[in-house]
Amino acid sequence: MESLEPPDDELVRRTQAGDARAFDELVVRFSPRLYGLVYHMTSSHEDTNDLLQDIFSKAYRSIKGFQGKSSFYTWMHTIAVNMAINFLKKRNRRKTMSLDDVDNGILNDPDFIEATSNGDPSREVNLSELQKKLNESMLKLSHDHRAVVTMFDIQGMPHAEISKVLKISEGTVRSRLFYAHRQLQNYLQEFINK
Amino acid sequence: MDNEDSITKLLRLKRYEQPPEEYFQNFLAEFQTRQRSEVIHRPLLQIAWDRFCSMFVMPPIPKLLMVSSFAAAIFAAVFVMNWADDDTPSNLTLASSGGVQVAAKARPARSKNGSAVQYVLPARPVSYASARSF
Repeated sequence: MESLEPPDDELVRRTQAGDARAFDELVVRFSPRLYGLVYHMTSSHEDTNDLLQDIFSKAYRSIKGFQGKSSFYTWMHTIAVNMAINFLKKRNRRKTMSLDDVDNGILNDPDFIEATSNGDPSREVNLSELQKKLNESMLKLSHDHRAVVTMFDIQGMPHAEISKVLKISEGTVRSRLFYAHRQLQNYLQEFINK
Repeated sequence: MDNEDSITKLLRLKRYEQPPEEYFQNFLAEFQTRQRSEVIHRPLLQIAWDRFCSMFVMPPIPKLLMVSSFAAAIFAAVFVMNWADDDTPSNLTLASSGGVQVAAKARPARSKNGSAVQYVLPARPVSYASARSF
């Protein structure tokens, strides 16, 4: 069955022609994904909400200048990452975390079960403890490393796409991931299988 | 490599950190409200700047037309000013004094005894005379 939803390009073209409803459709389409991107970089629901509003406002103001050299997806992600990094620089590592908004599906995830128990009573931790530790570890990374980890490990974006969003080479993406993973291994040692 | 995989697996768990379903339903409404308020509360300078910028986003032919008509208007204004200067009696009169040209201001007319000439209106203005005096 064919999808009836118009492609991003068409919605962008309609928005550029002055159709505000087309942009609303883009907001609905992109907000969950961009929420994830910004939230995992800021670790704060309130900051993410404000920032996401700013990101879409900026996108709406600049959409006439979007020439389609990259995909709209890449363009939106570039705006979001740049604004999130600028925000983090201003916030200066204030550690805020929302610990109450985890989807219950995590409890059935085999990786969660493996990380939190694995038959070893000494390693048994609860959900909030793991989440807290993960967020703390993420906040210890530099902004650039955190952006790469968020896009690759959490959002599952390929290296090539990340390099386009951040306007860096794929080699740099891989190198940042390598160093970020090494740092995270130290912080999350107790949850990693040996 | 195993550690690398374990880190990736752990980080993937962060995908479960999501806001409740209704958050995204409300997000669009909140965004629209904010956009409207931004439009209403736009600073005057920004509006003026946008209008200024929009002048340069015109299609090429009207822009060319605008520039050429502006140039023609300036040319016409300069021409008229020069023509007017040639036609108007100058306030300056040139007098030759010992081979050196001296500019002197024209003075009002004076009588023989030096007092300024006064023009006196007739006692009965022409317009008061009877139009039909046969």
